[in-house]
Amino acid sequence: MTELTMTSTPVIEMTDLVRRYGRTEAVNGLNLRVQPGRCYGFFGRNGAGKTTTIRCLLNLLRPTSGQVRVFGLDPARHEVAVKSRLAYVPDHIAFYPWMTVRETLDYFASFRSHWNLDVEASLLKRFGLDIWQKTPHLSKGQRTQLALIAAVSPEPDLLVLDEPTSGLDPIVRREFIQTVIGAYQDADPGRRTVLVSTHMIAEFEGLIDEFTIIDQGREVLTLDADAARERYQKVYARFASEPHSLDLAGARMLNRRACEIEVLVNGNSQNVIDRLRAFSPESLTVESLTLEEIFVATLQPAGAGA
Amino acid sequence: MRFQINFKSGKAVYLQLVDQVRLAAASGAIRAGDALPGIRPLAEELRVNRNTVAKAYTELESQGIVETVVGKGCFVRGNSSPFRKDVRRKLLAETLDDAVVQAHHLQIDRSDFLRLAEERFDILESKRTRAAND
Repeated sequence: MTELTMTSTPVIEMTDLVRRYGRTEAVNGLNLRVQPGRCYGFFGRNGAGKTTTIRCLLNLLRPTSGQVRVFGLDPARHEVAVKSRLAYVPDHIAFYPWMTVRETLDYFASFRSHWNLDVEASLLKRFGLDIWQKTPHLSKGQRTQLALIAAVSPEPDLLVLDEPTSGLDPIVRREFIQTVIGAYQDADPGRRTVLVSTHMIAEFEGLIDEFTIIDQGREVLTLDADAARERYQKVYARFASEPHSLDLAGARMLNRRACEIEVLVNGNSQNVIDRLRAFSPESLTVESLTLEEIFVATLQPAGAGA
Repeated sequence: MRFQINFKSGKAVYLQLVDQVRLAAASGAIRAGDALPGIRPLAEELRVNRNTVAKAYTELESQGIVETVVGKGCFVRGNSSPFRKDVRRKLLAETLDDAVVQAHHLQIDRSDFLRLAEERFDILESKRTRAAND
């Protein structure tokens, strides 16, 4: 699509980012580029360095070294210019306990030069939030909904979500993440960019169009989601008799019983399939890995967990 | 029409949508002038990014299957390929080559292959007839 392939300034660009806490390197030479209009997944286990990276992006933390650019600007030097164009929903949300939902939204709106009341009203309605409710009486799911409404109503160019669904029940989180991101990106899809940091990958499967997996503060894998599912596949074959001289170098063995073989391939599926076919399998199936399975396969050392 | 996404098929999600619209149009499940669902509702229903649906619709438009009417949406076009006949033959030949290669590997001989092609034509045509009588 032309709007996605246009060469324009990346919304987020991090180069060799390092952030240490004492002797611990939370982020260790990370590179990240997010183009406008993308819904970008930032995946890692707990403690992989996701939140530290995001805090550097928002200038809540100073990088030890490396460069951070948001909208092409240094967030430390152009803090207002950067922050006025983005919204951030942290994993732990705090509201003033004396405020109602209405007052909370008005309070957030007071910091913004632009606030779309239609977006606000339609999301309040969809979530069924009572605007006269005091924030301490909201459930965890409702608090997240409120934070998300406050984040998308100013129609920022960048929406940063840090573990937006942690601690929520599965129905709630599937429903409203889709709704909020849909509402947010609908009006100006070529420009509105989402960065979602999470370790709950399955629920973002269809939403993510590109992702980076980080581990121990380093980038492990960056791919387009469709390309990833095309590249990482599971091949299963069953034979009439055990194929003794079968060479499957280049594929990771997941399961091997006498007449059954299941392997994981990474970009070389055709080659592996051809080698399996040479032994005339009774059955041969190929299945893509989901993003979550790719995440697990990427972070699991070869041979483990087979 | 009903769309179904399979993340495990190995085919890009937007291409799955493209293929399903092409099939629906060929089998008569959707007809010229029918509107495709809006991008945002479909994205929500399928739990995919709106970019994915938009990309599918752009692709369908470039293939001449649908046309976009600004402010109204995306509509199925009449059966009029934008390509000349020789180009259309060439495009189909490429697809057939893949099937012929596959037939070789599956040990399906020429006559079997041609019989199967006849069968598939019949199935699609009977679907069209049923769709037209609905």
